[in-house]
Amino acid sequence: MKARVVMLEAAAKPLYWVILAASIVVLLRGHNEPGGGFIGGLMAVAATILWAVVHGPAAAQKRLPMGSARRLAVCGVAAAALSGVPAFVFGEPFLTHLWGASLGFAELKLSTVMVFDLGVFMAVWGALAGYALGLIEVDLAQADEQ
Amino acid sequence: MAPPATTHSAHAMSLGARTLAVLPPVVALAAVLWVLATQALPLDLVWSWAPSLGLDLAFRIDGLAALMLLMITGIGVAVFVYAAGYLAGDPNQKRLFVLLTLFMLAMIGCVTADHLLVLFMFWEATSLTSFLLVGYFHTTAAARKAAQQALLVTGSGGLALLAGLIVLGQVAGNWRISELVAIVPTLPHTPALTTALVLIMIGAFTKSAQFPFHFWLPNAMAAPTPVSAYLHSATMVKLGVYLLARLDPAFGEWALWEWTLKLVGSLTAAWGMVLALRERDLKRILAWSTVATLGTLVMLVGLRGEGAAAAVGALLLAHGLYKAPLFFVAGNIDHGAGTRVIDRLGGLRKQMPWTAAAALLAGVSMAGLPLSFGYIVKDVILDAKNTADIFTFAQIANTAFGAVAVAVAGVAAVRVFWRHPGINESCEAHECGPALVGPPLVLALLGIGLGLFPFFAQDLIVAATVSMIPADEFELARLSLSLGPVLGSLAVTLGIGALIYAFWDPLHQRLESIALGIGRVGMASQYEHALAMLPRVAASVTRSLQHGRLPGYVLLAGTAVTALIGAALIGAADTLALPAWQWPGLGLAGAAALTALGALLALTVSDRLVLLLIVGLIGYGSALIFVFAGAPDVAFTQFTVETVFVIVAASVLLKLKRMGRARSVREPWLRPGAMAMSIAFGAVTAALVLVVAALPFDPALSDYFGRVSVPEAFGRNVVNVVLVDFRALDTLGEIAVVMLSLLAAMTLLSAARDHVRPRKAPRSKP
Repeated sequence: MKARVVMLEAAAKPLYWVILAASIVVLLRGHNEPGGGFIGGLMAVAATILWAVVHGPAAAQKRLPMGSARRLAVCGVAAAALSGVPAFVFGEPFLTHLWGASLGFAELKLSTVMVFDLGVFMAVWGALAGYALGLIEVDLAQADEQ
Repeated sequence: MAPPATTHSAHAMSLGARTLAVLPPVVALAAVLWVLATQALPLDLVWSWAPSLGLDLAFRIDGLAALMLLMITGIGVAVFVYAAGYLAGDPNQKRLFVLLTLFMLAMIGCVTADHLLVLFMFWEATSLTSFLLVGYFHTTAAARKAAQQALLVTGSGGLALLAGLIVLGQVAGNWRISELVAIVPTLPHTPALTTALVLIMIGAFTKSAQFPFHFWLPNAMAAPTPVSAYLHSATMVKLGVYLLARLDPAFGEWALWEWTLKLVGSLTAAWGMVLALRERDLKRILAWSTVATLGTLVMLVGLRGEGAAAAVGALLLAHGLYKAPLFFVAGNIDHGAGTRVIDRLGGLRKQMPWTAAAALLAGVSMAGLPLSFGYIVKDVILDAKNTADIFTFAQIANTAFGAVAVAVAGVAAVRVFWRHPGINESCEAHECGPALVGPPLVLALLGIGLGLFPFFAQDLIVAATVSMIPADEFELARLSLSLGPVLGSLAVTLGIGALIYAFWDPLHQRLESIALGIGRVGMASQYEHALAMLPRVAASVTRSLQHGRLPGYVLLAGTAVTALIGAALIGAADTLALPAWQWPGLGLAGAAALTALGALLALTVSDRLVLLLIVGLIGYGSALIFVFAGAPDVAFTQFTVETVFVIVAASVLLKLKRMGRARSVREPWLRPGAMAMSIAFGAVTAALVLVVAALPFDPALSDYFGRVSVPEAFGRNVVNVVLVDFRALDTLGEIAVVMLSLLAAMTLLSAARDHVRPRKAPRSKP
């Protein structure tokens, strides 16, 4: 029988969203202030691990975008790679970033850099969450067998 | 290898699909003919690929390339048609056509490439597709073994070739083959260039099955017959010869080059012929005679003079035109009579008249009888040998080669079809369909046709010769039906050949006993030994290095790092200095104290969970150091990583503890070896940091990025701008590695999970 920690369960839901929101803020401000895709992705991993500790790795996996850590990581790499493609339209080499209109707040501008950093964010989140969930799963299986 | 019994499964290709599959070589042949008819040779095609690396997709079609292209696509058409009939109904036939098409494209790329690295790329592609084609009947162990052998031998040769090409390109400062052949003769004979030459020769010798790498070719006969005809007689094994001929103008004046080619070529020709006499399997007999022909070609490349170059071109063409049909014939006999062992075959002309006709025509050309292209080639070769100063061994080897070629032609074309040895078990043999008799007949007829009207081949051979010799102009004596001195030499060859043919069986028995002795020390058994050694060496290395004891790993890694850095520091001791003393700020000192405190505490604790928290403290301490050292980004990352790490590890440890398996760390209080290593490691690292801090700091890079970050990439966070913009390609590679490592780890993780908790299988009650 699984032991439940009521306080943790109650705190998990708001905490999960707060950590995710913070990770996205860190991702977006990264271009001008400390932050960026790598750190943001790591913070998001912490949120996923929190969920896995409380509700189990399967539930945490389900909460991920795309529903699986592996798919999230693959999509991240794909997004980062695709962000370099529009450069070809303007006759520039691969991954020459293009800058669009300002979003009107916090110095944010629409750009392929943002897509690239989002790809980094997703790849880090997916890959490290995949490792963590896999390890927790092995660990739970071991505990069950005892 | 006989094709599996024809069972028409749902995967078998329909007649229409098979017709469609034959299109690629037809289109390729048409394109080659169109180019030859409309364009002036040599034709250069260059696309820029990676200009910063000096890497261009450079292609060049000259006479030699045109000759190879015609053989690749022309014999390719015959092979594809033959394959459509030979493997009709085979469920994997589609795969065969895909692989054959890929192989053909790789060959076309290889013989037209004008850039050393482009050539190598296609060269490797032919090795890989050949591996898959030899292993086509992958359910049989012999085919898998033969494919592995072919790949290992030609693949290792490919590595040698790559090294040789790179050295050549570096030394000459030019990668274009058409320019290299003019540059290399002017270069001094440095050791580097000699190394390149030797490595390139090794690569060519493995590909063209030259002694001592000859053994893989007959074993590759495990491939389906169309593959053997295409790869192992007409095209791929000629690549080595092609490369040698291509580079001959560059290295031709080197004594090492000339004598190695002559010696290895003659040895291969002689040895291949001896081994052909040993075999009873028709296909393997043909394979050994192919080895002998390749040896002759290599020897001819080694000979000086235009005559030798013309002989190379002519023999390349003639061999393709008679050996491919003979392979088809062997396949037809296998198909129709169910065996290729010559003892059980005889008198097949009644049951297989068309195949017999094709065999006879091809055999005439192989034996070099008048009115065949083989005869013309004999004439050209004789000419080359008369003009070049050829040493006696090569002369004898070549005569023996001619004689045994006659005997092999006799076996393949006469013995199995006309003579009846009395133990014929193939009374139920039957003729094959038009797709199986058409290709050998057409190719063999071409060989005869060129013998009757040699001027059709004249321009092609002349063009090929011009690209093999340094001179611009060259007059080839007309290829013609002369009945001069060649007849005398032919008579000698024919006489010896007829004797070998007549006494094939007694010779075979005599050789068998000798060859058994040689077999024990020969290259094939050396290969087996090496292959068996590989896993044993790997296992013992793994056992001694990856023993699974973590303290052992740390000790080994720490000692290695200490020794390397220590040696470097001591070596450069007189140029290094310590920095001036500086009082640290209060924050920095506090952070350092925190880290040191954590390290000291870690020594006193034996509970794993507490130890983990203390390690976290050390991590936070070093993150604080970054905060005060002006690297907030790094500090931010460090804090996050430390937190995540401590949470994950703690959750695992808590689980283990609940299971009662979290033993505390039980180590002896003092381990002298580990202590000595730790102190040395700490001292060396501290010394390194101090010395590096004393070095003058070159601010060029950080100044540059600090300056251009905002105007060019619109970001003030320089670290992030470098990551996502200036060095975005590196970052893309890094996240791809992270993602791929997860994909690799997932199989391990799920295996570990299933190991402790086997997947719930449907229960079967006993």
